[in-house]
Amino acid sequence: MNIKRVLIYSILGFAALIYLLPLVVMVITSLKDLDEIRSGTLLSMPQALNFDSWDKAWGAACTGVSCEGLKGYFWNSVLIVVPAVIISTVIGALNGYVLTKWKFRGSTLFFGMLLIGTMIPFQVVLLPMARMLGFLGLAGTTSGLIMVHIIYGLAFTTLFFRNYYISIPSELVNAARIDGAGFWMIFHRIILPLSIPIIVVSVIWQFTQIWNDFLFGVVYSSGDSQPITVALNNLVNTSTGVKEYNVDMAAAIIAALPTLFVYIVAGKYFVKGLTAGAVKG
Amino acid sequence: MHALKIQNIEKIYGKVKVLKGIDLEIQPGQFLILVGPSGCGKSTLLNMIAGLEPVSKGNIFIGDRDVTHLDPKDRDIAMVFQSYALYPNMTVRQNIEFGLTIRKTEKSEQKKIVEKVSKLLQIEPLLDRKPKQLSGGQRQRVAMGRALARDPSIFLFDEPLSNLDAKLRVEMRGEIKELHQREGTTIVYVTHDQIEAMTLGDVIAVMKDGEIQQFGPPQDIYDNPRNQFIASFMGSPSMNFIPCQAEKVNGVIQISLESGNEKVKVPIKQNIKGLEAYADKSIILGIRPEQITQQGEDKPDSAKLNCDVELIEPTGPDTLVTVRINGVKTVCRIHPTAESKVDKLMPLLLDMSKVVFFDPDTQERVY
Repeated sequence: MNIKRVLIYSILGFAALIYLLPLVVMVITSLKDLDEIRSGTLLSMPQALNFDSWDKAWGAACTGVSCEGLKGYFWNSVLIVVPAVIISTVIGALNGYVLTKWKFRGSTLFFGMLLIGTMIPFQVVLLPMARMLGFLGLAGTTSGLIMVHIIYGLAFTTLFFRNYYISIPSELVNAARIDGAGFWMIFHRIILPLSIPIIVVSVIWQFTQIWNDFLFGVVYSSGDSQPITVALNNLVNTSTGVKEYNVDMAAAIIAALPTLFVYIVAGKYFVKGLTAGAVKG
Repeated sequence: MHALKIQNIEKIYGKVKVLKGIDLEIQPGQFLILVGPSGCGKSTLLNMIAGLEPVSKGNIFIGDRDVTHLDPKDRDIAMVFQSYALYPNMTVRQNIEFGLTIRKTEKSEQKKIVEKVSKLLQIEPLLDRKPKQLSGGQRQRVAMGRALARDPSIFLFDEPLSNLDAKLRVEMRGEIKELHQREGTTIVYVTHDQIEAMTLGDVIAVMKDGEIQQFGPPQDIYDNPRNQFIASFMGSPSMNFIPCQAEKVNGVIQISLESGNEKVKVPIKQNIKGLEAYADKSIILGIRPEQITQQGEDKPDSAKLNCDVELIEPTGPDTLVTVRINGVKTVCRIHPTAESKVDKLMPLLLDMSKVVFFDPDTQERVY
């Protein structure tokens, strides 16, 4: 190894360290008790592995008036994220399929309008969406929030699938049509099996977006149906006397774990999908 | 009874007429070639026969059924695509079976068909592989197998050989022809390669700008091109077009040819009535490279000319020599043993018995 290599690796290592530092601080703080936090520095190690604050954050910390931890809200988020991710990915895939392989008069314009959807900030749709949810009788419900996420995510998932399917040769679809397959059969038997990489991309994107969303969650849900991000905010802002940094940290990590998990599990396929490229048969 | 009949087919995209009224008819077992330069509408026509493109005007009949507005799956056709379009997620066997499964052919019957087809095309060892694991020629075979398995009344081929390298292309060309002879299938085959058109076709439709320029057997199109475009498109190296002056001497039309410092007048012995009108006017002489050779035995209807050699290209079986006649570059096909040198005069023999003439303005053939 020559000196240049050493230099490069030490710079990279240093950058990685800086990047990881907040997480390290969060993890070690969450394992300390309040006395240790008060007496030690930010980076000093905990004396013993102490998971009390994790227990509290999960099951007993106060978020506003109720003191039942993040548990319930975690499952709220799961209940919101899972259907929203699945439905928006499925519809996105169908949209992409139609926009590339079954073009209709005005489909380019339609796609252009969908593209604008990716540029609309959350804040702009807040009020009209609230009106619509009220009109549909879904205000303050989990299904209402799921619907908001699906609609908002569609522009992105459609864009992903459309750009991916455009590289699948149309001759494949034509061959299947001549073989006698119809719209759904071609989608199911020919297109979907080729779509794994882009499905992974879409799922990661949508999962992260929806799990991490705060604004829609705080606006369109109330009380027990709130997602974990809103609950985390409430937990940190609810103080009864002392500020329990260790519980806050543990709660924040709990809220972030699922996205981390998705990246670790699916990240491999994510990279595979990006590099596999050639689907031409 | 025709196998395929196309009546006054038009295709209009917005304001552009891509196909301007095509009429065609072929008999069962015939091998029809649609050939032409890119953009001539040949692939569009094929896609319309397949039902992949809607027809703007006109009718298509397969057998005695009007299929103009039928779905591809109801037309009783099979198609081989340029990119082969094998389903990448399926094995070769599944690729061949796909169409059969959709048509609810019985499993035992499917197995028989796959066996028969894979034997015919010698792809038995490949049946459990994915398309990714096949070479270009093997993919080509599988694509044909998929089409054959369906046993349709018409096969459509869309430039099936253009993705193969030169050697494999010649091989597969032979195999397609052999298959056609053995199975007696009706084929419509699109290509831009005039050699493929000549070698494979029973009938050729030469297309240009959305119109059929000429329709007939390959040799007839080669020998009797209707206009200068067809004459130059069919044949390689293509026909020479030499502008010359015509005059009438003693009731016989003569043309003047000039090369080097020699000038000869050649009487036209062919019976071409239209030539009379070109007396004392210019006309285009169309002569194929193989009709200009080294001098040897005298032919009855021929002319001799000493020509300036500009370029020599040996191809093996014969040598292509470029000379200048009446100021234009003219390619001649010479026997490789004949002596020729660049910048030297070479005595050449022009066989006038099969030459054709074109009008310099309309580029149409003079009959």
